[in-house]
Amino acid sequence: MNKIEIKQDLSQIKLTETVGNIYADDAKMSIRHANVFYGKKQAIDNVSLDLAKNQVTALIGPSGCGKSTFLRCLNRMNDTIDMCRVTGQFMLDTQDIHAKSLDPVLLRARVGMVFQKPNPFPKSIYDNVAYGPRIHGLTNSKTELDEIVETSLQKAGLFNEVKDRLNDSGTGLSGGQQQRLCIARTIAVSPEVILMDEPASALDPIATAIIEELIDELKEKYTIAIVTHSMQQAARVSQHTAYFHMGKLVEMGKTEYIFTRPSHKLTENYITGRFG
Amino acid sequence: MNSTFLFAVLVFLSLFSYWFGIKRSLTVAGGIDNKKYLDCLPEQFGLLTAMVCGIPALVALLVFNSAEQLVVEHMITSTLPTHIQTLSSIDLGLYLNNIHSMASSETALVLIQGAKEASDSAVQTQYRAALELQTLNNNASWLKTALVLMIAVGSVIVLVGKFSLTYKARQKSETIIRGILVASSAIAILTTLGIVISVLFESIQFFKSVPPTEFMFGTQWSPQTAMRADQVGGSGSFGAVPLFAGTMLITFIAMLLAVPVGLMVAIYLSQYASAKLRSIAKPMLEVLAGIPTVVYGFFAALTVAPVIRNVGEYFGLSVASESALAAGLVMGTMIIPFISSLSEDAISAVPKPLKEASLGMGATHSETVVKVLLPAALPGIVGAILLAISRAIGETMIVVMAAGMAANLTANPLDSVTTVTVQIVTLLTGDQEFDSPKTLAAFALGLMLFITTLGLNILALKVVQKYREQYD
Repeated sequence: MNKIEIKQDLSQIKLTETVGNIYADDAKMSIRHANVFYGKKQAIDNVSLDLAKNQVTALIGPSGCGKSTFLRCLNRMNDTIDMCRVTGQFMLDTQDIHAKSLDPVLLRARVGMVFQKPNPFPKSIYDNVAYGPRIHGLTNSKTELDEIVETSLQKAGLFNEVKDRLNDSGTGLSGGQQQRLCIARTIAVSPEVILMDEPASALDPIATAIIEELIDELKEKYTIAIVTHSMQQAARVSQHTAYFHMGKLVEMGKTEYIFTRPSHKLTENYITGRFG
Repeated sequence: MNSTFLFAVLVFLSLFSYWFGIKRSLTVAGGIDNKKYLDCLPEQFGLLTAMVCGIPALVALLVFNSAEQLVVEHMITSTLPTHIQTLSSIDLGLYLNNIHSMASSETALVLIQGAKEASDSAVQTQYRAALELQTLNNNASWLKTALVLMIAVGSVIVLVGKFSLTYKARQKSETIIRGILVASSAIAILTTLGIVISVLFESIQFFKSVPPTEFMFGTQWSPQTAMRADQVGGSGSFGAVPLFAGTMLITFIAMLLAVPVGLMVAIYLSQYASAKLRSIAKPMLEVLAGIPTVVYGFFAALTVAPVIRNVGEYFGLSVASESALAAGLVMGTMIIPFISSLSEDAISAVPKPLKEASLGMGATHSETVVKVLLPAALPGIVGAILLAISRAIGETMIVVMAAGMAANLTANPLDSVTTVTVQIVTLLTGDQEFDSPKTLAAFALGLMLFITTLGLNILALKVVQKYREQYD
């Protein structure tokens, strides 16, 4: 117990090291003093930031800096990993999502996730999108379900390409289409927040452009956090950018400031390509 | 030289050829410093030389050994007097056996003496034949040694003569290795084919005396045939339906226990158990598969069957002291680790992103297992169940001890039944004539069993294929 408290005291001091502005006027999620440990190794060190509602927040930083780990805390996907321990306060609206009383299953319906590699289920396109609504019992009839599937596919910009073959397997689509199918699957349960873990890193430039356009449209309805290795992508799609380094949040602020006038030397080095 | 020694010499010659091939290729290149001018590595030359030395000679040795006996016997027979040559094949075989044992047990001197001193001309003939056989065997042995060594040495000399800087030793040795691999798989396939054919021919013999329709659709099984015309009780009816029904009943009971339990064990171990627990529990489960079936057999007969009978009597049911239920339950226990172990592998092999996608959608752990992991692992699970069914159908010992021998046609698990494998065992043990329908029936049963399991395999493959088309 003592050890952890000391650690947190130390991090209190280091918190002042985060430069820029971590606060949002209209925050959908507010994270304070987040620490993540894998066994004895600390992967996230006292990170605090807000995710602004209906905006895109990009998490950037060199490999192994903890940005994906941090993202996975936001819908408690780290629960599935043994040895992983998370401390800190993670508020979704007014609820602490790491509270014991909160059911991670319900949380994940509110905070959806899109993964790095497209991972459609080996089921039909229709069943892929209908998976979430079915397990959460969102619909009462086949027509309602059909409607959800159709609108989700439309929102993901995939409907016109697949409307004649909804019963074909989802794994038979191209990589870009598969990723959009995964996005459609995620938005089918009407989440409030969508977490994207390098959603375009396995895609070609054309598919990437389509996904980026889609992210821009999706922010009208959803709050989005995206981890990306591409700084151009972060600059193109996000309104806020957080730069992580060695498990710490070094700098955060409006994207245009981060990419034009970074305050921290580490951020500057990274975005100018001198490091990472 | 006898064959074992000759084989050892061949192995030694091949090893020597390996070294010789390397040396020769280096000589062709002009010394070890110039080995880069060779198209292939010296070791590849060596490998090719060793294979060219060993393989043709070995094949020659095998062919010679298998043909030797026939040829020598034929030559001996032709020297014998005509009245012996015209004996029936069985008597001639006995006569030749006699000569063989004389030739191998006595020295040549004794035989010559015997041929001189024997008073009876028939005995004299025997001695002479034995002597002749010894000479022939000797000659054959020398011929064999000379032939094999000549092939080994000759082919190496021819090969080495062809060595040049551009000689394709690597490609040639690859071709030979591929040939060896093809030959090995051919042996496996041919053995299977051989078993099928031999069973098939004996079955045809059987079906000459018992019509196939009676065998396949008859409901009466009592294979005791009368040895004498006046014997009673030997009705000799060969209806295999009760046996297959018994097999199916016991297999069904075993699967009813093993499939759900095994699957749940697999799900628990792969998804819920901690790594530490898994590392202890999995080997312990696999111990179940290592217990000899005869131990399961007396466990079933002495422990489980009485319990079932007592419980049954408590509820006012009449339970045979040897019941299908007891055998099935114990067999199911034995099969649990087959299903759990293979299914766990299949479930663990499902890509992690699929699991995460489902959890990330807000599915619970059990929903993820049922809707994503099990369907994705289904081909592996079906394979596991199929293997378990084949194991259950082929299982003999438990059934012999726990289910009895009575060929009842019943679906009541509390009755005593018998299975195909048990009947095969009882038909073939003890002193039997090998041409009576009773003995031949075992082959027919074996054939039917083979066809049944083959059919099951094909069916399961189709199921898996259909499923894959749907979801992949």
